Amino acid sequence: MKDRGWLVLTVAAIGMLALPFLRDQFGFPVFYLVFLSGVLFWTAQATSWNILSGYSGYFSFGQGAFFGVGVYSVAFFFARRGLSWWVGVLLGGLLSMLLALILGTIAFRLRQLRGEIFALLTLAIPFILAAVVRLSRTIDGGQGVGIPVPSYPDMIGPFQHFYFVLSALVALIALALAYGMQRTRYGWALFAIHDDEQVAEGLGVPTFRYKMIAIAVTGLLGGLSGAVFALNLGHVSPEGTFNLRVPLFAIVMSALGGRRHWAGPMVGALYIYTLQNRLSAAGFEGWSLIVLGAILISLILFAPDGLMSRFTRRPWTVTAVLVGVLVAMTALGTGLIIDRLAVALLVAAVTAFLPRRATADTRPPETARGLSGLEQDPGGDEARPPELGRPLVSVADVTKSFGGVRALAGVSITVSEGELVGLVGPNGSGKTTLVNVISGTLRPTSGSITVAGFDIAGLQPHRISHLGLARTYQIPRPFPTLTVRDNVAIAIMFGREPRGLYSSREAADEHLAMVGLAELAHAYPPGINLHERQLLEMARAIATRPKVLLLDEALAGLNPVEIDNAVAVVRRIHRSGVAIVLVEHLLRVVNQLSTRIIVLDQGLLLAEGEPAEVLKDPAVVATYLGKQPHA
Amino acid sequence: MNELQSIIFGALTGSSFALIALGVSLTWGFLKVINISHFGLVLIGSYLTFQVATSTGMDPIATVVVTAPAMFVLGATIQWVFERFQVSELNSLLIGYGLLIIIIQVVQNTWSADFQRMDPSLNPYFTRSIAIGQLRFPVATLLAAGFAIALVLVAHFVLEKTYAGRALQAFGQDRQIAGAFGIDHRLLGILLAGTIGASGAIAGMLYALGQTLSPDAPFEWIGRVFAIVILGGIGNVTGTLYAGLLVGAVSGIVAFIWSASVAPLVVFSLVVLALIFRPQGLFLRKGGH
Repeated sequence: MKDRGWLVLTVAAIGMLALPFLRDQFGFPVFYLVFLSGVLFWTAQATSWNILSGYSGYFSFGQGAFFGVGVYSVAFFFARRGLSWWVGVLLGGLLSMLLALILGTIAFRLRQLRGEIFALLTLAIPFILAAVVRLSRTIDGGQGVGIPVPSYPDMIGPFQHFYFVLSALVALIALALAYGMQRTRYGWALFAIHDDEQVAEGLGVPTFRYKMIAIAVTGLLGGLSGAVFALNLGHVSPEGTFNLRVPLFAIVMSALGGRRHWAGPMVGALYIYTLQNRLSAAGFEGWSLIVLGAILISLILFAPDGLMSRFTRRPWTVTAVLVGVLVAMTALGTGLIIDRLAVALLVAAVTAFLPRRATADTRPPETARGLSGLEQDPGGDEARPPELGRPLVSVADVTKSFGGVRALAGVSITVSEGELVGLVGPNGSGKTTLVNVISGTLRPTSGSITVAGFDIAGLQPHRISHLGLARTYQIPRPFPTLTVRDNVAIAIMFGREPRGLYSSREAADEHLAMVGLAELAHAYPPGINLHERQLLEMARAIATRPKVLLLDEALAGLNPVEIDNAVAVVRRIHRSGVAIVLVEHLLRVVNQLSTRIIVLDQGLLLAEGEPAEVLKDPAVVATYLGKQPHA
Repeated sequence: MNELQSIIFGALTGSSFALIALGVSLTWGFLKVINISHFGLVLIGSYLTFQVATSTGMDPIATVVVTAPAMFVLGATIQWVFERFQVSELNSLLIGYGLLIIIIQVVQNTWSADFQRMDPSLNPYFTRSIAIGQLRFPVATLLAAGFAIALVLVAHFVLEKTYAGRALQAFGQDRQIAGAFGIDHRLLGILLAGTIGASGAIAGMLYALGQTLSPDAPFEWIGRVFAIVILGGIGNVTGTLYAGLLVGAVSGIVAFIWSASVAPLVVFSLVVLALIFRPQGLFLRKGGH
């Protein structure tokens, strides 16, 4: 049952490819195949765009470039050089993928690449390509290139059949890739990147690699689809190819259908193409852009998730309405088939947007949540010091400067197996900076850090995560569009021993139980409170199966009851065999939990040792309470 | 002498694009809205100038008395919607695009897809040119550049020297904090968007003085204008002007030496390099980071 989608796709593929051969039996006009070819072309383009921009959130205006490389590969290799049409098509896909990889290598290597900068970078590429094509006499030279009708086996029938089969093949490849990615770690890595790239990297997701995969797939599909499209054109020109039409339609279609669902772009393509087709057929050609613009604006304002997310909430109702309207109109004999399709699509969309009957809130009442999920911790304060083992983290003489400010000025610490180290110090003493350099989020200015015996200099954060280091953030940063359980599942999928989506989900439940969030597995992070989000951070961190866990002020902003609960969770994690570094302001908690305390002040190590001794140290007292004149 | 002519002519043309770019850059920098619909306002402005001048016989420059208030209201309304729905930066791009295609279609339905141009008797600026030494420049181009440069300088002065300008800068840096210090960000944002809309009307008027109008024109502007916005630095007023002059001059000289179709290659390669090496823009603001 899990892979029902593959069945649907296979059946759709066979049905599609058989369509031209059934035409003689059923005798429907070739116009329908031409119409469907249009839908399929836009399905391929929108799906291609969506894999990079919808899944990973890197918004691209470069679709015209990938499309254009495909178009001009056919123009050059097939029309000008006289190679077979399929060589032109394949080269179109490959060259476009190459362009995508070059673009990705440049863009994704940039430090602090912001989404808008990527969008603008991709906006510039089609202009450059258009200029090159216009200038180069060998490619085009500005006059345009005529494309002859390709030769293909006679059994396929008229050219429209041939073009339909090719469009269907490319669209099916695109859909299969989009579907396959959504079902596997490839898609989930991109979803995590979409929500919070830094956190994803810290949880073990090799973000650079997955972004490159996404952009390569987008380039390949955009190029293949453009190349096939060119076979249908007869004549291509730089102006008609490298314009904003393709990217903008791809964007609108994906936004309409839904950017998070593999079928979203297809649904969007079907709606927009059908609607435009009917509007121009009805003589409202002058209205098509107005309708399109109005749909886009109202969707973004009122339903930014797109149609597909509405459909999946009530799939049977929508299907029933769609089929019902089609059958009813056919029985009554109103309109052409396309008219019936257009009406049915609109009615289905309206049905999907009808308000739902109020369902009972599945969330357990406030008092029953979280806290009660934990049995009282029997251990109390008589925590025995666990066995100390070999060192896991060694920080040797590390400094970190921001401009002229030294956040860390030569700090050396060690954390060993079995320890629970309390890291304390006043605001600005360098605690969070230390956490950031150990987890690889920041590079130290000088000094060295080893995790589990490996020097982490130059390692990307996901590699450090795989060495056995996990962290939480002071302000929780869950992936907002994934459920609580999937937040944890991501960390398992990309752990040291990668696992599939389904087994990761099952394993995620254990970690949720460990922190007492089992009941909220299906909630979304924006709907849970601060304490629960901090527990989620911890669950996600332990799901990477760390040897050392850095908890950055995991108790900040909690009320006393919640603090007690969080303390119990931290202790349980520690007992499960994870060494912990606890950054905390509350000395009571640190004193209660820690096996050792490290005090930082102004980037320097001020004191280190047994909790009771350190907290009596006059220097520590002075730092915390201020110097008292003759107290 | 012809090289000089093409560089200066290019720079003058570029500076008038800088006026459009200024609108995009300011809404992006201060209001966090990537306002593609601004191109639509410029388009409407140019057609309204054409229409008002043609039907009333008014001097085309004087038509801004009508068009600027109209575009002020339109710009302010759009910003009100963005505020009302708390639209994110990315979604503002999509909504702006939706508005732009609606505007293009409305313009096309109203004035047809054919090229339109003001009658020469109504638009004396189109045909005349002025000789400066051995160089000759069309009056329309000089006017466009003059207006654009003057407006950019006014914008710079207002932002740097007035209370409203300071408040806007604070708002651009951190909305919530600025709000906490008593800046009515919604009103300020709507006023700024209205003013930018009015500047779009002026840009449209200037375009109508020297060019034939077509509903598709915005798609020709988008690339060049975004190039200027990026090179100038987002939200950087004087940077936008310099970038406009630079892009124009480079296009002019490349077109002269080589061919006009090479110009985009050079300009957009410059943009790619700038994005990689100086994503904050070529021209640093004083006190900027």
